[in-house]
Amino acid sequence: MSFVPGQPVTAVVQRIEIQKLRQGNNLILGFSIGGGIDQDPGQNPFSEDKTDKGIYVTRITPGGPADVAGLMMGDKIMQVNGWDMTMVTHDKARKRLTKKNEDVVRLLVTRKSLEEAVKHSMGTYHKQ
Amino acid sequence: MPVDNYTNMEEKLWILEDLNMMYIRQIALSLQDSDIQKKIDHEIRMRDGACKLLAACSQRDQALEAAKSLQTCSTRIMAYMSELQRMKEAQVMQKVTRRSSDAGPMDDRLPCKGKVAISDLRIPLMWKDTEYFKNKGELHRCAVFCLLQLGGEIFDTDMVIVDRTLTDICFDNTIVFSEAGPGFELRVELYSCCSEDDYSAGSTPRKLASKLSSSLGRSAGKKLRAAMEPGPCSPVSNGGAAPLLLPVPSVPGPKYHLLAHTTLSLSHVQDSFRTHDLTISGNEECSYWLPLYGSMCCRLAAQPHCMTQQMMSGCLKVKVRWQQCGGDPQSWTKVYAVLKGTSLFCYHRQEDVEANIEPAFTIGINKDTRIRASEKDPHSKVQNICISNQYGGEEVTHTLTTDSREDTHRWMEAFWQHFYDMSQWKQCCDDLMKIELPSPRKPAPVTPKQGSLYHEMVIESSDDLSSTVSDILARRMQELELRSQLGTSPTWMSVFEENNAKSAGRTRHCTSRLSGHSPCTPHRLPRSPASPHRCPQLGLLSSDASLTSDSDSHCSTSPCSQHHGWPEPSSSFSLLSSSPSRLRPRTLSLDAKLSTLRGRGYGGGGAFQCPCQPPPSSLLAPLPISSRSPRSQRSTQTTLSCSSSTSSNSSSNSEGSHSPESSEGVPFSRPSPARRSLRNLRARLDPRNWLQSQV
Repeated sequence: MSFVPGQPVTAVVQRIEIQKLRQGNNLILGFSIGGGIDQDPGQNPFSEDKTDKGIYVTRITPGGPADVAGLMMGDKIMQVNGWDMTMVTHDKARKRLTKKNEDVVRLLVTRKSLEEAVKHSMGTYHKQ
Repeated sequence: MPVDNYTNMEEKLWILEDLNMMYIRQIALSLQDSDIQKKIDHEIRMRDGACKLLAACSQRDQALEAAKSLQTCSTRIMAYMSELQRMKEAQVMQKVTRRSSDAGPMDDRLPCKGKVAISDLRIPLMWKDTEYFKNKGELHRCAVFCLLQLGGEIFDTDMVIVDRTLTDICFDNTIVFSEAGPGFELRVELYSCCSEDDYSAGSTPRKLASKLSSSLGRSAGKKLRAAMEPGPCSPVSNGGAAPLLLPVPSVPGPKYHLLAHTTLSLSHVQDSFRTHDLTISGNEECSYWLPLYGSMCCRLAAQPHCMTQQMMSGCLKVKVRWQQCGGDPQSWTKVYAVLKGTSLFCYHRQEDVEANIEPAFTIGINKDTRIRASEKDPHSKVQNICISNQYGGEEVTHTLTTDSREDTHRWMEAFWQHFYDMSQWKQCCDDLMKIELPSPRKPAPVTPKQGSLYHEMVIESSDDLSSTVSDILARRMQELELRSQLGTSPTWMSVFEENNAKSAGRTRHCTSRLSGHSPCTPHRLPRSPASPHRCPQLGLLSSDASLTSDSDSHCSTSPCSQHHGWPEPSSSFSLLSSSPSRLRPRTLSLDAKLSTLRGRGYGGGGAFQCPCQPPPSSLLAPLPISSRSPRSQRSTQTTLSCSSSTSSNSSSNSEGSHSPESSEGVPFSRPSPARRSLRNLRARLDPRNWLQSQV
């Protein structure tokens, strides 16, 4: 999941659609994020590449909307509703997720297991 | 003289319009279609209303809105009229073909219609860096909106004011077109209008206006003539620059111009966000120009009816055969089958469908399915239908039979139609795409900024799903009891305790933030992933963050209390009391800090909100806990301040002068938002932190 500056980033992504849950006056998603281009990437426990300044999911509230939708801890969020999340500040990322007039957020996330799954499936194909 | 020419022209336009209307009515009458007639009438009334409003209103934003509805109405009128023309042509053509007895492909299958929805429209802008970062100079503003047209339906988005501080033009609306065929063309047009002070045509000198209007004679006349021709060429897809069939009398006021357009079709439909290219009209010289990046991002989803509605239903008898079992027929199962989407749902009884009970079994019908009519069953003279699917390498065949030949024929017909629909709608039939209709919800009433701190004490439930106010208060009560046991202490000590209690109790993300300050960084780090679940939203803590950084400096010399951090407040307190000697060195720095704060605070407003500033008594009233025994204002205030994260912020922001015990006596007023964000920024830009926020 590291990137080469100037080259397009490619990743195997999964689409996750989260319906926000209304709690009083708030719409919550039920997870926490960490990271951002203004944060220290070395402290990110989930990233493989310790220079990765992307947005990672650090915690999922069990039973919450994100959990139900299939988001997992350690996922890296690439896109939220069409907006890129690979080069944003932490606050910008939070704001993109918590827009008041949006009921649904559609995320594109990537995780190591996805890459491996693709590699394995391609491997078996080649074996045949 | 010139004035006469001008009014003359206007009159001519009005007359032409009336003639047009009569012509339209004739066509509508001949087609016996009163529906479109009604729509046209409605739109014309709306347009007139918009014109009047435009002429009457004085406020800029009202005028812009009126001009927008004017543009929309005009476009709709044009669309309806061209549709009328098309219908007329179709009628004429039909008569012709019938006469020539040329049986065209009359049994052509028509694909089913569907819903097409476009949402989250976003158009990035590309300001020059000199333009974008300019801090002075007038803000050149443009009002923009989008017109979306599919078939006969035209919708407009809300208007957005764009200036050089925006990086993207975002339209929040979701537009749903209900009856679209698979060959649809969704035309997206971006209109913009310069939103400066003087746009009314009335302000241009009369002479100039008349000169312009008379000089338009040639080109305008040509356009009018073309429009008047009731020929087969209908100016429907000419783009926004096409002249209106009904020339609009010039109304003074803002006028929108087409800035960019694009056309989307079935190939652009996908269940995710995609970027499309825009064709930009206009150039830098135009007043309505905006530096568009050249693309548009949106989500275009389609739900064909074959995926959402029941295409066919009826009673059937089904038999299953697995490939490897070879062998032969088990008995027939009687089911009530419903064909919808990518499956044939087989229920035990018809009532199950409405009752939402799970079907007995489901037969997949997708592009890999093969359906054929088998040879006649010798027992009953009815043909069977065989449906073959591949389930992971195995072929499974379901055989259906009905009671009569007509039924079999109808089912076969339904299947063919279904396959045809799926072939026409292509990727939309792989999976059902979701279309959300935005609920017409009123935006949450914005609480006016009131003077009382009570209104700032919002307990955001985004804090933690499990923590409730009572929990928080219960915890506070514990701390309170502990503190009261410690007895009174010198002013600065209690201040310091407050500090600890606050920072310990307030937000747990402090712990990660403090990691940089305290010497026990490695110890803290493993806690940070665990702690953030108690982290309230960062936005919520906007001023909290700023506070923490200061409290950091206060507490930096008390690693012992931070060690145990939040979950064990008791130990922190006991530590405090047990090691007063350790406090001494801190006091000096604390004193120094306090004095500097005091100095700044007197400035009235204090960028540094001293967290040790006891909150004012005004806070005591709203919270029930104030009724508790410890009357020491400070402790109650601490309690109050810790009971919700924003309150701790607001507490220190409050008027210090209210508090009788504020021996510091610094009149801390609520800081300006600018200062608050400054402190925010400082905390967040601290590279030693790895922030986590709950969403």
